[in-house]
Amino acid sequence: MSSSALTALLISLKVSLVATLVVLPPGIALGLLFARRSFPGKSIVETLTYLSLVLPPTAVGYLLLSLLARRGPLGVNALGLDLDLLFTWKGAVLASAVMALPLVVRTARIAFEGVNPRLESMGRTLGMGPLRVLWEITLPLARRGLLASGILGFSRALGEFGATVIVAGNIPGKTQTLALAIFNDIQIGQDDEARRLVGLTAALAFLAIWISERLLSQRRKRA
Amino acid sequence: MISGITLDLNVPLERFSVEVKWETEETSLGIFGHSGAGKTTILEALAGLRPLARGLIRVSGETWLDSARGIDLSPEKRGAGYVPQDTLLFPHRDVLGNLLSGARRSEGPWRRKLSFERVLEVLELRSLKEARVDELSGGERQRVALGRALCSGPSLLLLDEPLAGMDLPLRRRILPYLIRVREEFSVPTLFVSHDASEMRLLCREVMVLELGKALARGRPEEVFFDASLHPVFREEVFENVLQGAVRELKGPGFLVELERDLCVLIPRGGIVGAGKVVFGLRAEDILLSLKPPVGLSAQNVIPGIIRQIRRADAGEEQDVPVLVEVAFGRGDLRMVASITSQSRSRLNLAEGSEVHLVFKAQSCRILTVH
Repeated sequence: MSSSALTALLISLKVSLVATLVVLPPGIALGLLFARRSFPGKSIVETLTYLSLVLPPTAVGYLLLSLLARRGPLGVNALGLDLDLLFTWKGAVLASAVMALPLVVRTARIAFEGVNPRLESMGRTLGMGPLRVLWEITLPLARRGLLASGILGFSRALGEFGATVIVAGNIPGKTQTLALAIFNDIQIGQDDEARRLVGLTAALAFLAIWISERLLSQRRKRA
Repeated sequence: MISGITLDLNVPLERFSVEVKWETEETSLGIFGHSGAGKTTILEALAGLRPLARGLIRVSGETWLDSARGIDLSPEKRGAGYVPQDTLLFPHRDVLGNLLSGARRSEGPWRRKLSFERVLEVLELRSLKEARVDELSGGERQRVALGRALCSGPSLLLLDEPLAGMDLPLRRRILPYLIRVREEFSVPTLFVSHDASEMRLLCREVMVLELGKALARGRPEEVFFDASLHPVFREEVFENVLQGAVRELKGPGFLVELERDLCVLIPRGGIVGAGKVVFGLRAEDILLSLKPPVGLSAQNVIPGIIRQIRRADAGEEQDVPVLVEVAFGRGDLRMVASITSQSRSRLNLAEGSEVHLVFKAQSCRILTVH
């Protein structure tokens, strides 16, 4: 493996892992909210959450770029401090996380909807407050679906291209992930290197799905 | 400790609303009614799972709900040991994990503390401690759910049809556990069922519920005697519930002593052990005879005196059932026979008449042995 390929691989792993960790808490919280609560304007909030599922990633990237630009609402002028996200690996994390959010929320929502709410009520009658019910009953019962949601989020982040290239650029050794490196190599006619990277991403994707399936089947046996 | 339960409950449902009042010092309570009468609604309202419930709930001196004063305790603060019909065991925990789910509350200073070891023993759960919940049989699930509720330090046990969906042999095995729990832990219990005989066995005071309203309330013997004449329950036959000690095996049956020197023969029904046996005998399976019958195949003949006669109120219909309550033995035992109003006038039966109760051993069905 060439050293540039290895660098791209490490950046990809770092960005995807951190993006997954960043997106899971809000994603799970939103999934729980959509599965268990009804409130005015719920359908609007849900639609907004799922929007980036169908928007072109470049459009999402452009929105993020506008938000984070010097004069944007989250830019240095408005906040008075520099988040230092644009054209850094953190920007790639943000772009991947935003793109992964709808998938994580949807999968988490389905996971929570599979938990019988009467079991939660049962926990309440046994003296557990709402938070303990969440911790001891809802989350453990939804864990398979939540795991799947995390792996889906990771895989989505791994393949993210459009939003990342706009927010983080395509800087080798800094923000160039596997997906970006493949694009780069094709552009400059390095087909051999591109082919190697495609093989690498395929192996990585295979590994992620294989591990998740293994985890799920082990849990199924134990649970 | 103040005992007793005060209920003044209103829960709106889709087709009707549940409205019941109940104030009692008794601790073994039952709600009897057909499915859809609102029984489970009352249990859920007590457990705090019905946000629309209004009124007053007071259990052993604690106020759980008082809408007038704006009190509505959340379920975790109420101390209800709820055992729903489908048991709702936690599938991600083993039996021990389930049993201990509510243990934290039972450590609160004001909670009635039941010994965990004692619960394991009484419900015979020790050998199941490490079992997975989905490996349990129906009866075991019921016992675990009951144990889990007991271990949460409840001040009121709520049992929703604990024997529903079980066949007779399984009921016979589970009933003794319920009886034992009542005797051992003295936790006030509200038991919901559509089986009058089980209620008679387990409850000291019952409410008959129909479409959310109480039709009758009181001691089970009396309530069911009256209720079986009510048009809603006409189709159901009154069943006598009797118990006694097994004295000897006689052919294919048991000789059961109801009181000293008063034995009846009942079928063994696959039961081997001895001890106390509880059996049911339907009112319509009992014949009344003015003189002791001779040359009869039925093996049980008991002399007694008619205490009261009730006739269903149904105008001039001829075949209206008449319930005849007969006192026998030394005077404390009662049995109810159902005859037609024609037979009644033919035999000229009246309160105080001497009669003989006649029934086949095969008409008795064993409810449980304990």
